[in-house]
Amino acid sequence: MTYHVLLFALTTGLAIAAVMARSLFLSAIMLALVSVGASLILFDFQAPWAAVFELSACAGFVTALFIGAATLVNHRDQAAVETRMRFYAMPLVMAGAAIAAWFYAVPFFESLESWAKFASRPGTLGSVIRDLRRFDLLGLVLILAAGAFAINSIFPWRKTQK
Amino acid sequence: MTSDTGLLAYLLIPLFTAVLLPFVARRRPGFSASLANVTLLAGLLNIGYALLNPASLAASFADIKEDGFSLLMIFLIYLVALAVTFFSAWYLEGRPNRAAYYSLILTSVSAMCGAVTTGDFFTLYIFVEALALTCAALITADDSAAGLEGALKYFLLTWPASLLILFGIAFLLLTAGTLSFENLKAIIASGRPAGAVVFAVSLILLGFLVKSGVVPFHAWLPDAYQGACAPVSAYLAAVVTNISGVYAVIRIAMLLRLFEIKSYHTSGLLMFAGMLSIMVGALAALRQKEFKRMLAFSSISQTGYIALAAGLGTPLAILGAVFHLVNHAVFNTVLFLNSAGLEKAAGAGDMRRLGGMEHAMPWTSWTSIIALMSAAGIPPLAGFWSKLIIILALWDGGAKVYAVPALLFSLVTLAYLLAMQKKIFFGKATEASAASREARPALLVPVAALSVLIIALGAFFPYVFSYLLETIAARILL
Repeated sequence: MTYHVLLFALTTGLAIAAVMARSLFLSAIMLALVSVGASLILFDFQAPWAAVFELSACAGFVTALFIGAATLVNHRDQAAVETRMRFYAMPLVMAGAAIAAWFYAVPFFESLESWAKFASRPGTLGSVIRDLRRFDLLGLVLILAAGAFAINSIFPWRKTQK
Repeated sequence: MTSDTGLLAYLLIPLFTAVLLPFVARRRPGFSASLANVTLLAGLLNIGYALLNPASLAASFADIKEDGFSLLMIFLIYLVALAVTFFSAWYLEGRPNRAAYYSLILTSVSAMCGAVTTGDFFTLYIFVEALALTCAALITADDSAAGLEGALKYFLLTWPASLLILFGIAFLLLTAGTLSFENLKAIIASGRPAGAVVFAVSLILLGFLVKSGVVPFHAWLPDAYQGACAPVSAYLAAVVTNISGVYAVIRIAMLLRLFEIKSYHTSGLLMFAGMLSIMVGALAALRQKEFKRMLAFSSISQTGYIALAAGLGTPLAILGAVFHLVNHAVFNTVLFLNSAGLEKAAGAGDMRRLGGMEHAMPWTSWTSIIALMSAAGIPPLAGFWSKLIIILALWDGGAKVYAVPALLFSLVTLAYLLAMQKKIFFGKATEASAASREARPALLVPVAALSVLIIALGAFFPYVFSYLLETIAARILL
């Protein structure tokens, strides 16, 4: 149970860091880590298929999209000076929410564990990826490659426009 | 693991070349086009041999878990991609960053091959999303604001489709516990209550209908085609939309027919959407002034025929849908590549500014005539046979209420395509067309080759039909 809570706290922390990050690129990386954390939570609840889906779709596709979008608007982001004071209150708000959640989230996780049997599949995360969803990982590689080529293709357009 | 490993090479080799291109073509940008063309030509010859050589075909089928439909789609993907990259090699000559352009084309070829070889809904979704990413980037290759607008519309309007597919997949996993086509067939055969499974599959189908650009989900399509640079428009219209949407619609229709009466409403809605697309696409095409935009609406109308046949779901209808998908890809490539040649020669895509181009561009004019006659269903060209099969299947399947308008709107197709031919190629030469010259021979090669294919597919139809019957209908339908 402590492990679940720690993992949940870590994922939440990463999500806060993603919102607070000054660089959009860093923010996209943080969001990818949030997806990894979420997939670990799912795996821990005996749902390796859901974990692999989260890892494939969100950590891969969505990150490629965010990084692409961040690259496109980065120059505007750097040019715009914004006050970030309000973001500093966020960890305090989240800490308050975490204390409140301690009373509600723990029983919720306990009940989640009882639901886990519905989504359970035999095998480890590694074996599910290796034996059942190997082709998906190839798709994930393709998405990341597509993201890299897309950025490489759109960059000259940006230079022309600037 | 649901993909056939024997077909994996068609996915991996273009991906490998795509990764290699930016490095090897850094000093010699022209080399990127050659390498992309050689890769695609090698793949096309290989898959062409597998398709056309009966002996190797028999051997190949022993390894292929799915069916001849996947093989045919891989052939089509390589054929159109090769035509587009060959055309682009001369059309985009001197443009910066060509290596990234060819890398994107090759990555999209990999994604499409992945999509057509998989037998699992989630893997299909992943490859379709990879394809969406590459295509959004390809649309922006035009360096214009219209290109960026088209790409954004393509991405934002097809995004809800991805969500629908994902919801459908989640629901399918929850209700059926599997995403594999084969396992779903087994579940259907077991006689378990299939209501929830049909609902999940219907959600996925709806998502793919949006990606197909079927009416009423077609808002993204004309802007994306018009905004993209001409060879990319050809690529999108001929093969990308067909694979990312229409292919999946046919695949799902093949599953739905197994549900029989339980999927009656879903099939009915698919047929209705198909008919609506035929009508709205054709009527909208009649009103267009811009060449590429008119072809985009024409493409919506042709996709409608495929959706209509897929919705009916009889073996003959599915056969007609598959053949029309092939024809649609081939004649669309010719028409869109011709629009690119015209744009380059006359500097305009507005049909009001063009006229009498036949004298300056006879080859472009003649290949256009062949493609438009096939699109309109004029005998003995390939498009005639596929439309005939679809209409016969509709009549035979008791859907006379759809068969008659489908036939009538084929005449509307002929009307707007002939009007287009008249406005652009016939009549008095305008100022823009007087200064034009025929496209370079290298630009005409893919267009001429595909025109010959249109004639050949029509002329040798009995052989084509028996081939389709043996490789598709007999193996997966009957």
